[in-house]
Amino acid sequence: MTEPSAPIALTAHLALVSSISFGGFPTVLPDVRNFVVGTHGWMTNQEFANLFAVAQSIPGPNMILMMSFVGWKVWGFPGAVASAFATFGPPCTMYFAAYRLWDRFRNAPWQRIVRLGLVPVVMGLVIAGGTVMARAADTGWRAVAVTIAAATITLTTRLSPMWTLLAGAALGGFGLL
Amino acid sequence: MTEVAQRQELEPAVPLAALFTAFLAVSLCGVGGGGGIVWARRIAVEKRRWISDREFADIVSLCQFVPGPNIVGIAVCVGAKMRGAIGTIAALCGFLVIPWAIGLSLGLLCLEYAHLRVLGNILGGIAATAAGLLIATGIRLLLPHRRRPAALLFAGLAFALITFGRLPLLVVLFGLVPVSIAVAGVEAARAR
Repeated sequence: MTEPSAPIALTAHLALVSSISFGGFPTVLPDVRNFVVGTHGWMTNQEFANLFAVAQSIPGPNMILMMSFVGWKVWGFPGAVASAFATFGPPCTMYFAAYRLWDRFRNAPWQRIVRLGLVPVVMGLVIAGGTVMARAADTGWRAVAVTIAAATITLTTRLSPMWTLLAGAALGGFGLL
Repeated sequence: MTEVAQRQELEPAVPLAALFTAFLAVSLCGVGGGGGIVWARRIAVEKRRWISDREFADIVSLCQFVPGPNIVGIAVCVGAKMRGAIGTIAALCGFLVIPWAIGLSLGLLCLEYAHLRVLGNILGGIAATAAGLLIATGIRLLLPHRRRPAALLFAGLAFALITFGRLPLLVVLFGLVPVSIAVAGVEAARAR
Protein backbone atom coordinates (compact mmCIF):
# COMPACT_ATOMS: atom_id res chain seq x y z
CA MET A 1 0.00 0.00 0.00
CA THR A 2 2.81 2.38 0.92
CA GLU A 3 6.58 2.18 1.11
CA PRO A 4 7.88 -0.11 3.91
CA SER A 5 9.38 2.78 5.85
CA ALA A 6 5.99 4.51 6.10
CA PRO A 7 5.02 3.09 9.52
CA ILE A 8 8.39 4.07 10.96
CA ALA A 9 8.21 7.57 9.51
CA LEU A 10 4.70 8.07 10.88
CA THR A 11 5.48 6.68 14.34
CA ALA A 12 8.64 8.77 14.64
CA HIS A 13 6.79 11.90 13.54
CA LEU A 14 3.95 11.31 15.99
CA ALA A 15 6.42 10.73 18.83
CA LEU A 16 8.11 14.02 17.92
CA VAL A 17 4.94 16.13 17.78
CA SER A 18 3.43 14.54 20.89
CA SER A 19 6.60 15.52 22.77
CA ILE A 20 5.92 19.18 21.97
CA SER A 21 2.11 19.08 22.06
CA PHE A 22 1.64 21.91 24.55
CA GLY A 23 -2.09 22.44 24.83
CA GLY A 24 -2.78 18.86 23.78
CA PHE A 25 -4.64 17.49 20.82
CA PRO A 26 -5.56 20.55 18.70
CA THR A 27 -2.11 22.04 18.38
CA VAL A 28 -0.64 19.05 16.50
CA LEU A 29 -3.48 18.71 13.99
CA PRO A 30 -2.14 21.10 11.30
CA ASP A 31 1.33 19.57 11.50
CA VAL A 32 0.02 15.99 11.28
CA ARG A 33 -2.31 17.01 8.42
CA ASN A 34 0.63 18.45 6.47
CA PHE A 35 2.66 15.29 7.11
CA VAL A 36 -0.07 12.76 6.32
CA VAL A 37 -2.00 14.54 3.54
CA GLY A 38 0.57 16.91 2.08
CA THR A 39 4.02 15.33 2.39
CA HIS A 40 3.10 11.65 2.08
CA GLY A 41 -0.34 11.63 0.47
CA TRP A 42 -1.53 8.72 2.63
CA MET A 43 -5.05 10.13 2.62
CA THR A 44 -7.10 13.06 1.36
CA ASN A 45 -8.15 16.15 3.30
CA GLN A 46 -11.67 14.76 3.37
CA GLU A 47 -10.53 11.45 4.91
CA PHE A 48 -8.44 13.30 7.49
CA ALA A 49 -11.45 15.45 8.40
CA ASN A 50 -13.54 12.27 8.73
CA LEU A 51 -11.04 10.77 11.19
CA PHE A 52 -11.23 14.01 13.17
CA ALA A 53 -15.05 13.92 13.20
CA VAL A 54 -15.17 10.30 14.34
CA ALA A 55 -12.52 10.78 17.05
CA GLN A 56 -14.35 13.86 18.40
CA SER A 57 -17.67 12.05 18.66
CA ILE A 58 -16.48 8.90 20.46
CA PRO A 59 -15.99 9.02 24.24
CA GLY A 60 -12.46 8.27 25.38
CA PRO A 61 -8.98 9.50 24.59
CA ASN A 62 -9.73 11.35 21.30
CA MET A 63 -6.21 12.46 20.45
CA ILE A 64 -4.85 8.95 20.82
CA LEU A 65 -7.78 7.49 18.89
CA MET A 66 -7.40 9.90 16.01
CA MET A 67 -3.70 9.13 15.63
CA SER A 68 -4.53 5.41 15.85
CA PHE A 69 -6.95 5.80 12.91
CA VAL A 70 -4.13 7.45 10.96
CA GLY A 71 -1.80 4.57 11.93
CA TRP A 72 -4.43 2.02 10.89
CA LYS A 73 -4.74 3.65 7.49
CA VAL A 74 -0.97 3.39 6.94
CA TRP A 75 -0.18 -0.01 8.47
CA GLY A 76 -3.31 -1.74 9.81
CA PHE A 77 -3.57 -2.90 13.42
CA PRO A 78 0.17 -2.72 14.23
CA GLY A 79 0.13 0.85 12.90
CA ALA A 80 -2.79 1.73 15.16
CA VAL A 81 -0.96 0.36 18.22
CA ALA A 82 2.34 2.04 17.28
CA SER A 83 0.61 5.38 16.74
CA ALA A 84 -1.18 5.11 20.07
CA PHE A 85 2.10 4.48 21.91
CA ALA A 86 3.85 7.28 20.03
CA THR A 87 1.04 9.66 20.99
CA PHE A 88 0.73 8.94 24.71
CA GLY A 89 4.18 7.54 25.57
CA PRO A 90 6.32 10.70 25.47
CA PRO A 91 3.76 12.96 27.24
CA CYS A 92 3.14 10.36 29.98
CA THR A 93 6.85 10.04 30.66
CA MET A 94 7.10 13.81 30.90
CA TYR A 95 4.02 14.09 33.12
CA PHE A 96 5.47 11.53 35.51
CA ALA A 97 8.89 13.22 35.62
CA ALA A 98 7.31 16.66 36.03
CA TYR A 99 5.13 15.38 38.88
CA ARG A 100 8.24 14.17 40.68
CA LEU A 101 9.98 17.54 40.22
CA TRP A 102 6.91 19.73 40.74
CA ASP A 103 7.62 20.48 44.40
CA ARG A 104 10.86 22.09 43.37
CA PHE A 105 9.47 24.56 40.86
CA ARG A 106 5.85 24.96 41.95
CA ASN A 107 6.48 28.40 43.45
CA ALA A 108 9.46 29.49 41.37
CA PRO A 109 9.07 33.06 40.02
CA TRP A 110 10.22 32.03 36.53
CA GLN A 111 7.32 29.62 36.34
CA ARG A 112 4.80 32.46 36.11
CA ILE A 113 6.83 34.19 33.41
CA VAL A 114 7.21 31.01 31.34
CA ARG A 115 3.46 30.51 31.61
CA LEU A 116 2.76 34.10 30.51
CA GLY A 117 4.96 33.56 27.47
CA LEU A 118 3.80 30.05 26.62
CA VAL A 119 0.01 30.32 26.95
CA PRO A 120 -0.68 32.94 24.24
CA VAL A 121 1.43 31.04 21.67
CA VAL A 122 -0.34 27.78 22.53
CA MET A 123 -3.76 29.40 22.25
CA GLY A 124 -2.83 30.80 18.83
CA LEU A 125 -1.91 27.22 17.88
CA VAL A 126 -5.24 25.87 19.19
CA ILE A 127 -7.20 28.41 17.13
CA ALA A 128 -5.02 27.52 14.12
CA GLY A 129 -5.81 23.82 14.73
CA GLY A 130 -9.53 24.57 14.57
CA THR A 131 -9.14 26.72 11.46
CA VAL A 132 -7.05 24.15 9.59
CA MET A 133 -9.59 21.42 10.41
CA ALA A 134 -12.45 23.67 9.29
CA ARG A 135 -10.65 24.16 5.98
CA ALA A 136 -9.93 20.43 5.62
CA ALA A 137 -13.62 19.68 6.17
CA ASP A 138 -14.72 22.58 4.01
CA THR A 139 -17.68 21.86 1.78
CA GLY A 140 -18.62 25.46 1.08
CA TRP A 141 -19.87 28.57 2.81
CA ARG A 142 -22.50 26.67 4.80
CA ALA A 143 -19.81 24.58 6.53
CA VAL A 144 -17.93 27.79 7.35
CA ALA A 145 -21.14 29.23 8.80
CA VAL A 146 -21.58 26.10 10.97
CA THR A 147 -18.01 26.41 12.26
CA ILE A 148 -18.52 30.08 13.13
CA ALA A 149 -21.92 29.36 14.73
CA ALA A 150 -20.47 26.50 16.82
CA ALA A 151 -17.64 28.74 18.06
CA THR A 152 -20.06 31.57 18.88
CA ILE A 153 -22.51 29.31 20.71
CA THR A 154 -19.69 27.76 22.76
CA LEU A 155 -18.33 31.19 23.69
CA THR A 156 -21.63 32.82 24.57
CA THR A 157 -23.69 30.02 26.15
CA ARG A 158 -23.08 27.19 28.59
CA LEU A 159 -24.50 24.57 26.23
CA SER A 160 -22.71 21.21 26.49
CA PRO A 161 -20.42 20.55 23.48
CA MET A 162 -22.29 17.29 23.02
CA TRP A 163 -25.45 19.13 21.92
CA THR A 164 -23.51 21.39 19.59
CA LEU A 165 -21.89 18.34 17.97
CA LEU A 166 -25.28 16.63 17.64
CA ALA A 167 -26.74 19.72 15.99
CA GLY A 168 -23.82 19.79 13.54
CA ALA A 169 -24.28 16.09 12.80
CA ALA A 170 -28.00 16.63 12.17
CA LEU A 171 -27.40 19.59 9.84
CA GLY A 172 -24.92 17.47 7.89
CA GLY A 173 -27.13 14.38 7.90
CA PHE A 174 -30.09 16.27 6.44
CA GLY A 175 -27.81 17.33 3.61
CA LEU A 176 -27.90 20.99 4.54
CA LEU A 177 -24.13 21.53 4.31
CA MET B 1 4.18 15.76 50.48
CA THR B 2 4.54 14.96 54.20
CA GLU B 3 0.85 15.59 54.71
CA VAL B 4 0.07 13.02 52.06
CA ALA B 5 2.59 10.55 53.48
CA GLN B 6 0.94 10.75 56.89
CA ARG B 7 -2.49 10.31 55.46
CA GLN B 8 -1.36 7.27 53.51
CA GLU B 9 0.00 5.72 56.69
CA LEU B 10 -3.30 6.20 58.44
CA GLU B 11 -5.54 4.98 55.63
CA PRO B 12 -5.20 1.77 53.65
CA ALA B 13 -3.69 2.29 50.20
CA VAL B 14 -6.15 2.90 47.37
CA PRO B 15 -6.53 -0.39 45.46
CA LEU B 16 -5.08 -0.36 41.95
CA ALA B 17 -8.40 -1.68 40.66
CA ALA B 18 -10.13 1.44 42.04
CA LEU B 19 -7.69 3.69 40.15
CA PHE B 20 -8.34 1.64 37.03
CA THR B 21 -12.14 1.86 37.23
CA ALA B 22 -12.17 5.54 38.25
CA PHE B 23 -10.17 6.60 35.20
CA LEU B 24 -12.11 4.21 32.97
CA ALA B 25 -15.20 6.16 34.03
CA VAL B 26 -13.47 9.52 33.44
CA SER B 27 -12.45 8.38 29.96
CA LEU B 28 -15.91 7.17 28.95
CA CYS B 29 -17.67 10.26 30.36
CA GLY B 30 -15.63 12.85 28.48
CA VAL B 31 -17.00 13.24 24.97
CA GLY B 32 -16.42 16.00 22.46
CA GLY B 33 -13.25 17.13 24.20
CA GLY B 34 -13.02 19.42 27.20
CA GLY B 35 -15.47 17.62 29.48
CA GLY B 36 -12.81 15.21 30.74
CA ILE B 37 -11.26 17.46 33.37
CA VAL B 38 -14.67 18.20 34.91
CA TRP B 39 -15.32 14.48 35.24
CA ALA B 40 -11.85 13.78 36.64
CA ARG B 41 -12.51 16.36 39.36
CA ARG B 42 -15.96 15.02 40.09
CA ILE B 43 -14.65 11.47 40.48
CA ALA B 44 -11.23 11.95 42.13
CA VAL B 45 -12.19 14.84 44.43
CA GLU B 46 -15.92 14.63 45.13
CA LYS B 47 -16.82 10.97 44.80
CA ARG B 48 -13.69 9.06 45.87
CA ARG B 49 -12.18 11.82 48.03
CA TRP B 50 -8.68 10.80 47.06
CA ILE B 51 -7.34 14.34 46.80
CA SER B 52 -8.48 17.78 47.90
CA ASP B 53 -9.73 20.49 45.58
CA ARG B 54 -6.49 22.37 46.08
CA GLU B 55 -4.38 19.33 45.20
CA PHE B 56 -6.48 18.81 42.08
CA ALA B 57 -6.02 22.44 41.00
CA ASP B 58 -2.30 22.04 41.60
CA ILE B 59 -2.19 18.95 39.37
CA VAL B 60 -4.13 20.73 36.60
CA SER B 61 -1.73 23.64 36.82
CA LEU B 62 1.23 21.27 36.47
CA CYS B 63 -0.37 19.46 33.53
CA GLN B 64 -0.91 22.69 31.59
CA PHE B 65 2.83 23.15 31.78
CA VAL B 66 3.76 19.84 30.16
CA PRO B 67 3.15 18.82 26.52
CA GLY B 68 0.32 16.36 25.94
CA PRO B 69 -3.39 16.00 26.62
CA ASN B 70 -4.03 17.46 30.11
CA ILE B 71 -6.53 14.81 31.03
CA VAL B 72 -3.95 12.04 30.49
CA GLY B 73 -1.58 14.04 32.69
CA ILE B 74 -4.22 14.14 35.43
CA ALA B 75 -4.48 10.33 35.30
CA VAL B 76 -0.67 10.05 35.52
CA CYS B 77 -0.42 12.48 38.47
CA VAL B 78 -3.37 11.18 40.50
CA GLY B 79 -2.11 7.62 40.00
CA ALA B 80 1.39 8.68 41.09
CA LYS B 81 0.03 10.54 44.11
CA MET B 82 -2.00 7.57 45.34
CA ARG B 83 0.33 4.65 44.56
CA GLY B 84 3.52 5.83 42.84
CA ALA B 85 4.61 4.43 39.47
CA ILE B 86 2.37 1.39 39.66
CA GLY B 87 -0.58 3.65 40.44
CA THR B 88 0.20 5.70 37.34
CA ILE B 89 0.16 2.56 35.23
CA ALA B 90 -3.18 1.43 36.74
CA ALA B 91 -4.81 4.84 36.16
CA LEU B 92 -3.42 5.05 32.62
CA CYS B 93 -4.54 1.53 31.73
CA GLY B 94 -8.02 2.36 33.01
CA PHE B 95 -8.08 5.57 31.02
CA LEU B 96 -6.72 4.07 27.82
CA VAL B 97 -7.06 0.35 27.21
CA ILE B 98 -10.80 -0.39 27.13
CA PRO B 99 -11.90 3.01 25.73
CA TRP B 100 -9.19 2.74 23.06
CA ALA B 101 -10.30 -0.75 22.02
CA ILE B 102 -13.99 0.25 21.90
CA GLY B 103 -13.26 3.56 20.18
CA LEU B 104 -11.00 1.97 17.58
CA SER B 105 -13.57 -0.71 16.69
CA LEU B 106 -16.52 1.72 16.56
CA GLY B 107 -14.51 4.32 14.70
CA LEU B 108 -13.16 1.95 12.07
CA LEU B 109 -16.63 0.50 11.55
CA CYS B 110 -17.95 4.00 11.06
CA LEU B 111 -15.12 4.98 8.70
CA GLU B 112 -15.74 1.81 6.69
CA TYR B 113 -19.06 3.33 5.61
CA ALA B 114 -17.86 6.92 5.30
CA HIS B 115 -18.30 6.68 1.53
CA LEU B 116 -22.08 6.42 2.03
CA ARG B 117 -23.49 9.83 1.29
CA VAL B 118 -25.53 10.25 4.49
CA LEU B 119 -22.71 9.18 6.79
CA GLY B 120 -20.21 11.33 4.88
CA ASN B 121 -22.53 14.31 5.30
CA ILE B 122 -22.96 13.65 9.02
CA LEU B 123 -19.18 13.42 9.48
CA GLY B 124 -18.78 16.65 7.51
CA GLY B 125 -21.22 18.38 9.86
CA ILE B 126 -19.44 17.04 12.93
CA ALA B 127 -15.99 18.06 11.63
CA ALA B 128 -17.17 21.62 10.91
CA THR B 129 -18.76 21.85 14.39
CA ALA B 130 -15.82 20.29 16.22
CA ALA B 131 -13.47 22.73 14.47
CA GLY B 132 -15.65 25.55 15.82
CA LEU B 133 -15.41 24.09 19.35
CA LEU B 134 -11.60 24.12 19.09
CA ILE B 135 -11.56 27.73 17.92
CA ALA B 136 -13.85 28.68 20.82
CA THR B 137 -11.57 26.92 23.34
CA GLY B 138 -8.55 28.81 22.05
CA ILE B 139 -10.35 32.16 22.15
CA ARG B 140 -11.73 31.54 25.64
CA LEU B 141 -8.33 30.69 27.11
CA LEU B 142 -6.75 33.64 25.34
CA LEU B 143 -9.29 36.15 26.73
CA PRO B 144 -7.59 36.55 30.14
CA HIS B 145 -4.51 37.77 28.23
CA ARG B 146 -6.35 40.32 26.07
CA ARG B 147 -4.89 43.35 27.85
CA ARG B 148 -1.34 42.33 27.00
CA PRO B 149 -0.54 43.47 23.43
CA ALA B 150 2.48 41.13 23.34
CA ALA B 151 0.27 38.14 24.14
CA LEU B 152 -2.10 38.97 21.29
CA LEU B 153 0.83 39.53 18.94
CA PHE B 154 2.39 36.12 19.69
CA ALA B 155 -0.99 34.36 19.52
CA GLY B 156 -1.62 36.01 16.16
CA LEU B 157 1.83 35.09 14.87
CA ALA B 158 1.44 31.45 15.96
CA PHE B 159 -1.98 31.33 14.30
CA ALA B 160 -0.78 32.86 11.04
CA LEU B 161 2.45 30.86 10.73
CA ILE B 162 0.52 27.58 11.11
CA THR B 163 -2.63 28.46 9.15
CA PHE B 164 -1.13 30.41 6.25
CA GLY B 165 2.58 29.61 6.50
CA ARG B 166 1.91 25.87 6.96
CA LEU B 167 5.13 25.62 8.96
CA PRO B 168 5.93 22.59 11.14
CA LEU B 169 4.83 22.82 14.79
CA LEU B 170 8.43 22.38 15.98
CA VAL B 171 9.62 25.43 14.01
CA VAL B 172 6.76 27.66 15.17
CA LEU B 173 7.04 26.65 18.84
CA PHE B 174 10.80 27.01 19.07
CA GLY B 175 10.75 30.20 17.05
CA LEU B 176 8.07 31.98 19.05
CA VAL B 177 8.06 30.60 22.61
CA PRO B 178 11.57 31.77 23.67
CA VAL B 179 10.88 35.29 22.34
CA SER B 180 7.44 35.33 23.96
CA ILE B 181 8.89 34.23 27.30
CA ALA B 182 11.66 36.84 27.04
CA VAL B 183 9.08 39.58 26.42
CA ALA B 184 7.01 38.37 29.39
CA GLY B 185 10.20 38.46 31.49
CA VAL B 186 10.98 42.04 30.46
CA GLU B 187 7.39 43.07 31.23
CA ALA B 188 7.59 41.45 34.67
CA ALA B 189 10.92 43.17 35.41
CA ARG B 190 9.52 46.58 34.39
CA ALA B 191 6.40 46.10 36.51
CA ARG B 192 8.54 45.52 39.58
